[in-house]
Amino acid sequence: MHISDGVLPMSVTVGGYAASAALAAWSARRTRSETLPKVAVVTAAFFVASLIHIPFGPTSVHLLIPGLAGALLGPSAFLAVGLGLLLQSILFQFGGLTALGANALMMGVPALICGVFFQRLKGRTRSRQSIVGGIAGALGTAMAALILALLLAAGGEDFFGVAKIALAAHVPVILIEGAVSAFTIGFLARVKPEMLEPVFASGADGTHDTAPRDPSAHG
Amino acid sequence: MADVVHIVLPAWQFAAILAGPLILLAAAAAGLRFLVRRRSVSGEDRDWSVPPLADSAGATLFHRWDVRCKITALLAYSFLVAALEHVTPTLAALAVSLLALVLARSSLVRALTRLLAVTGFLVMFLVVMPLSAPALPGDTVLVIDGVDWLGFNLRGLYKALAIACKGVAIALLMEPLLTTAPLPVTLHGLTRLGIPDMVGQMVLLSHRYLHVFRHEAERMAAGMRVRGFRKRTDIETLRAVANFLGMLFVRSFERTERVFDAMRARGYRGRFPAPEEPRMQAKDLLLTGAWLALGITLILWDRFFQQGSG
Repeated sequence: MHISDGVLPMSVTVGGYAASAALAAWSARRTRSETLPKVAVVTAAFFVASLIHIPFGPTSVHLLIPGLAGALLGPSAFLAVGLGLLLQSILFQFGGLTALGANALMMGVPALICGVFFQRLKGRTRSRQSIVGGIAGALGTAMAALILALLLAAGGEDFFGVAKIALAAHVPVILIEGAVSAFTIGFLARVKPEMLEPVFASGADGTHDTAPRDPSAHG
Repeated sequence: MADVVHIVLPAWQFAAILAGPLILLAAAAAGLRFLVRRRSVSGEDRDWSVPPLADSAGATLFHRWDVRCKITALLAYSFLVAALEHVTPTLAALAVSLLALVLARSSLVRALTRLLAVTGFLVMFLVVMPLSAPALPGDTVLVIDGVDWLGFNLRGLYKALAIACKGVAIALLMEPLLTTAPLPVTLHGLTRLGIPDMVGQMVLLSHRYLHVFRHEAERMAAGMRVRGFRKRTDIETLRAVANFLGMLFVRSFERTERVFDAMRARGYRGRFPAPEEPRMQAKDLLLTGAWLALGITLILWDRFFQQGSG
């Protein structure tokens, strides 16, 4: 669930923009600059993943995957989240751009925290990785819901009711998200374990870039 | 200070006041969804290359407007609208957005899709806020005869209405902003306005590969359906969906490597060729000025001539 335009007070809207611009700049700095196009392509995959609906009783929920994005992308996750939100606006999935900053904070900050959490605690064994991944997935959604509620509550006492309802509506999503994240991380640990290392982070030696490429070697 | 005005209603009237708009909204949402679904299913053979965002090189006001001016004007205007507080000016903003849609000859289906995307969130406000807003002095609260824990606060309703109008008005305005020029042109306009070049490039790449990966996901989903997979509310569904996600990530990460290598092989050095250089004319600036003036008028109206209501 995203915040739509015109809901938040102006100060929060503008503050959200400033904070997410700073975080995006930090995130871009932490990503090796020549891999930014890769982050863009991977973001597309996360975007598609977030379109998948999972039945929940009579209705269905769709995944938010800030936890998974954080676990797989590390510090680049904030960039990916901002990009994904911009794409949603372009692709008629969502409304306007005035709430973009607040929405990026709401999904991006949990993604960053989950990334650190996952990389610190993932350990070596597969079962541990899936458990930590599951916790990261649930944690990511829970934090996103909490930030959503806090942002809404910033509007004043009139908004408290809406904030509570929004928080409650996320409880099933948190559980589903946790389970799916655990299974997905387990799958990746079996199939392509190198994806669980932070791929794009600057300084980290990604498995795909074993041979240093020289940009001047072209043409 | 005036006290809270309680208007006591019999239960059936209260229920009618609550349920009437809800039923109307639900019906509208269902109708919208039906319309959008029907339109999108009818094309059996879908084009999975990048669907062009821009409509025909239309000759409307918005198509001819210089893209930098268009972005500046419409974004600044959106922020001004987001700052409105009273119902009447937000209704006017909604009317302006509808007018802009008509002027830009935007696709009705896409406008409806956008509307559908924000409906859920805004309906939550319309339902929850009147019931949960605390009663302040001067408020009018409708209460059921004998039930005093549930009150329908009219001030909450006005506030929610204003929020809903703002949300819809801004969401609809994205249609003339984003689809009256090809995406590369719009992004280039952003770059010219000072947004880092890389942002535009990343959006362009993501947008391109989004459709590739969606195609991939559709094929994988079709394969699962053929093998008898049906989504249910159980742990096995979650496991299957998780494996599906994992496979999608593995395939797309691998494809990412190949895409990037191919780009490097074709001489990519952090830049895409720029689309044709836009030329700003006096009438572009004039239109921008007029649009901003409209936004400022709305804000002034909202702040100085709307005391008391809403």
